[in-house]
Amino acid sequence: MFKQSLVLSRQFTRSLATAANAKPSLVKSFKIYRWSPDTPEVKPKLVSYDIDLNDCGPMVLDALLKIKNEQDSTLTFRRSCREGICGSCAMNIGGRNTLACLCRIDRDTSKDLKIYPLPHMFVVRDLVPDLTHFYKQYKSIEPYLQREQEIPDDGKENLQSIADRKKLDGLYECILCACCSTSCPSYWWNQQEYLGPAVLMQAFRWLIDSRDQASAKRKEILQNSMSLYRCHTILNCTRTCPKGLNPGRAIAEIKKQLAFD
Amino acid sequence: MSFMSRPTLGLARFAARPASLIQARSLTIPFVKTIPQPPGYIVGNVNDAYVSPASSKLHGSRHWTFERFIGVGLVPLTVSPFVFGSISPVTDSILSVLLLLHSYTGFQSCIIDYIPARVYGKLHDYAMWLLSFGSGVSLYGIYLMESNDIGLTSIFMKLWY
Repeated sequence: MFKQSLVLSRQFTRSLATAANAKPSLVKSFKIYRWSPDTPEVKPKLVSYDIDLNDCGPMVLDALLKIKNEQDSTLTFRRSCREGICGSCAMNIGGRNTLACLCRIDRDTSKDLKIYPLPHMFVVRDLVPDLTHFYKQYKSIEPYLQREQEIPDDGKENLQSIADRKKLDGLYECILCACCSTSCPSYWWNQQEYLGPAVLMQAFRWLIDSRDQASAKRKEILQNSMSLYRCHTILNCTRTCPKGLNPGRAIAEIKKQLAFD
Repeated sequence: MSFMSRPTLGLARFAARPASLIQARSLTIPFVKTIPQPPGYIVGNVNDAYVSPASSKLHGSRHWTFERFIGVGLVPLTVSPFVFGSISPVTDSILSVLLLLHSYTGFQSCIIDYIPARVYGKLHDYAMWLLSFGSGVSLYGIYLMESNDIGLTSIFMKLWY
């Protein structure tokens, strides 16, 4: 009896697999930016890869992995969690900065899909940008809790009201994928000195944290023409954020807090 | 050795030629000499935090608040001649000066954005002086327009009547 059912189930799965293969192929072409530091004299170029969408996962990251597995193992990109929580696979897909793992492939095969690294960043290789300076900027805002009295009176935790905790919603979710900063024209021109939306949103996250007591110091580093005030409310940051956050509003709130400082 | 030459170790790449500096060609004004920038824009160690420019409220929050006041002040002043038909010479002068200040801070922002001292050095200062000079000339022009002529709003109205 058991043997029989095993055979049956085997047949069943096989028939399912055949059904999937029987789908007509839907070939879309992906044009991907390629540059290798091993051959710096060769200019960066777009390389085209054809993929059968019916034999591929739904997201752009699935397509990239398929290309790397089956067509060109030298294709280089960052990826980790494949579910939009690590921020590794941030890239410019079809003209918009987003996470490859959260971006669905457009099933219209008449148009090809162009994939570039994050704009105006130094490219390490292919789709891998150099984020060193971005992380240095993040470090400069001291993104951690700072209090005069390190250990609270009860020796356990720094308490916060529910209302105060609510203020952090929409800010703490940022995964620092750098999609917003690299979509900002002001950051393109002046990224050496302008902190950019991602870092400024985290600066605000620590400014309004009711438990943090270093606000004066945090405001001090923004008081110059470059760090904060290069934001001209272009709002590309808010438009592009793959997590649906609003860095533009956070920057406006910082400006409001500083207005009569 | 193969580990050392891994292309993804971009930092090792920078360390290999510490003295070399890069030129951001595409983003600069053509035919103007620019100051070379550090590789990867990294100043100091890769683990050092970025150091922000010297703190100055005059260039920071007060400048921003000043800009907002000008912007907000311009709204009723711009609307009033349309509502009342004409405005007094004093109001007209205030409107003209606020417009001048508004464009002054606007152009100042453009210079900071596109001719930054970081890349252009002294040229940044020259651009600022040129802007101040031009604004000074315009201020004198406003004085002449208000004292000898019919004033800004009336001249503007002449386009139609």
